[in-house]
Amino acid sequence: MDAVSCTVRIASPLRSYTLGATSVTADGATLREILANLDQRFPGIRFRMVDEQDRIRPHMRLFVNTSEAKGLSESVGAGDTVHVICALSGG
Amino acid sequence: MTLSPAELARYHRHLVLDEIGIAGQERLKRARVLVIGAGGLGSPAALYLAAAGAGTLGIVDCDRVEVSNLQRQVLFDTSRISRLKADAARERLESLNPQIVVIAHAVELRAANLREVFGGYDLIVDGTDRLSTRYLVNDGCVILGKPLVAAAIHRFEGQAMTYVPGRGPCYRCLFPEAPDEVVPNCAQAGVLGTLPGVLGAIQATEAIKLILGIGEPLVGRLLTYDALEMRFHEFPFARRRDCAVCGELPTITEPRDTQELCSNAAPDSVRRLTAAGLRTLLGQAASAGALVLVDVREPREFDTGHLEGAINIPVTELQRRMKEIPPQANPVFICRSGSRSLAACAMAVRAGIMLPGHLEGGLLAWAAEVDPTLAVAAAG
Repeated sequence: MDAVSCTVRIASPLRSYTLGATSVTADGATLREILANLDQRFPGIRFRMVDEQDRIRPHMRLFVNTSEAKGLSESVGAGDTVHVICALSGG
Repeated sequence: MTLSPAELARYHRHLVLDEIGIAGQERLKRARVLVIGAGGLGSPAALYLAAAGAGTLGIVDCDRVEVSNLQRQVLFDTSRISRLKADAARERLESLNPQIVVIAHAVELRAANLREVFGGYDLIVDGTDRLSTRYLVNDGCVILGKPLVAAAIHRFEGQAMTYVPGRGPCYRCLFPEAPDEVVPNCAQAGVLGTLPGVLGAIQATEAIKLILGIGEPLVGRLLTYDALEMRFHEFPFARRRDCAVCGELPTITEPRDTQELCSNAAPDSVRRLTAAGLRTLLGQAASAGALVLVDVREPREFDTGHLEGAINIPVTELQRRMKEIPPQANPVFICRSGSRSLAACAMAVRAGIMLPGHLEGGLLAWAAEVDPTLAVAAAG
């Protein structure tokens, strides 16, 4: 599968990694590749979303467009948007 | 429960809506709604519910009004500073609508009192600012079979969802567990003042729809709002068969308290140091060289003034930067008042650091007891 470029919308609590950017672009044909690409540019961001066993953390959800991704092998197409959603604490 | 002439006049704009009318307004009058937290979210939610004629409105909050609340907590005005929020909210809501009953619950919601507090209400609106309470409220609603309208905010972003027993997923289906990392609160992260206004109004709208049985609730859909981009997004999510509270084999069958990482509860394996105690320790460590002072405040606060030799790792970054603490060092975590440093200790213990230290009372205590020349920046 060829790597494609997609948009990743960053959850508010993780925007300190992306220097405040709400969305960034990333390359990869699967979520695993997308997150690896993100982590190269924004070191540490992947670990906030995924644990040591490559499981999406229980307070995080990843959506490809509007479909919830169950794991990192989920494929991502050109022009897709990956949404990183995080449990928020404030009230 | 019929409407009085005064109520007919007050709710006229509702009464002319076919979807509400007199029958709907009477349903609102019969409704008993509990708002958890009289903060950024609870303020607009409670104001709109009171204005709409929700007949019985409960407000749970054990805090007092602070001046820094007034930037977004529109229930209160300057004259209410230092008052109990639950009491001040009751007075404001009764003033807005004398035809409803407002009950102030100036208590901290815990597993032990949840059944008692929830007992008198049909619908729960969650506007808490603590993740541990958010999960407790969700679990309580599932266990007691009460609908829940939940929302949360962070800086410029908010999210909302609705749980209706038997009709869709709960909050744990979306986020099964709270993070095991420190969660900055609004005071540390900041929040756009209008953000909870948008989300709180959505919560009131959802509550009113549920009471009236009209429209389509946010069941199985997470609504997100980004104020910077001025965009709403919607994400469908399903009930988890393995959900710990609403799943097929639930492991949570009674409300239970969980420890918040940003709470003040100290792990057992933490050295609590007074300012004088730390000064003594620093004298001893000058020869041993094993003591590492880790200031876990934000860089802006650190730059204003810090202890000599301290390194700066903000608590929000500590988890991924723990390796910067030398392996054989005895770290002492320091912050402004001793809250963030305690959270840092909990993280350090989990990372395998033995007996991390924590300066009780933080640099405020240090400035008061040891060095009054130290400039301590305001938090956040």
